[in-house]
Amino acid sequence: MEYWPWWVGALALGGVSLAYLLLIGKMLGVSGSWAKVVGWKEDRELARSAAELEDADDGEIEDALLAATLAEFGAGAMDEKSIDETPDSGATETTATQTVTHTPWTAHLTFLLAMFIGGLIAALTSGQFEIELQLSDTHSRIFGGSMEIWLSLLFGGMMVGFGTQMAGGCTSGHGLSGCARLIPASLLSTVVFMFSAIGLSLLMEAAI
Amino acid sequence: MKQSRTRMYLSYGLMGGLMGYVIARIGFGDYDELHSMFILEDLRMLYAFAGAVALSLLGFIVLARRIPKQEKFFQPGTIPGSMLFGFGWAVCGACPSMVFIQLGAGKIPAVMTMVGIVLGVYLHKKVHARYFRWDTGSCVSD
Repeated sequence: MEYWPWWVGALALGGVSLAYLLLIGKMLGVSGSWAKVVGWKEDRELARSAAELEDADDGEIEDALLAATLAEFGAGAMDEKSIDETPDSGATETTATQTVTHTPWTAHLTFLLAMFIGGLIAALTSGQFEIELQLSDTHSRIFGGSMEIWLSLLFGGMMVGFGTQMAGGCTSGHGLSGCARLIPASLLSTVVFMFSAIGLSLLMEAAI
Repeated sequence: MKQSRTRMYLSYGLMGGLMGYVIARIGFGDYDELHSMFILEDLRMLYAFAGAVALSLLGFIVLARRIPKQEKFFQPGTIPGSMLFGFGWAVCGACPSMVFIQLGAGKIPAVMTMVGIVLGVYLHKKVHARYFRWDTGSCVSD
């Protein structure tokens, strides 16, 4: 049951956040991956329309845009069309380049599932793996019966899911990536969630 | 195109696996360790986290040109969202990545945490679309 000393953990975790940037080209952020996986339907539709846009030739897109404009604003809008034509073609081009770098939700799902496998390997190789019906001794000591344990986890999980989405990041996005870039919103968020967790934990400890 | 797709999935898989392994070996998946950090009894993991931030800070200075433009910024949900997250974290001992480490270590009730997170994220999506509608600047927006 030996965990790494703090400096080994610091080196390894810092290395992961840097490797993520180097290999994937984005900042590490797990709650963002969650959002993409839970919102897979929207992501799939986005990918589909991006593919359609890419497959369709320019004339087709122009006709569709023309028809949509006519339906929305009537024939009067067409008088200005000739003026707008040049900036329009530029706009289409930027949209097309943006959609190429789109990361599908399945890649984020792969990331999350791989995290489970990494944790499983770590637990198996360090002798920490043990099928248990409780989260830990301390957790059971605080929450008591098995009904309370399962309910506390459900509501705790909901708070974590809702809170991280509302704050726009979690321990990895705000705490690691954001703080390391000294972004004010991330520093504030990290201070707030750490102190909230510390405060509630001290309260729970005092209440037993 | 096909090959770059495979490479992308491999990259995400490799990073996830590495991160899961590291988080588990630091001890973040263990509620006992986490709780003793939160009641300020044993600050080992806090030092590990702070050290990782310091190392990343140095690394990001070196890699400044590779960092994507997208920034995080203040928005109405920053403080209440962070508070909610902090309270939830103290209760279930899981941030969005640690739940997988708990599951990997064989803690069956963590399934409940996972259901909770999925519900929470889904609920936020609905509530946000219906009532909030501010820009959250979430981690991945593409």
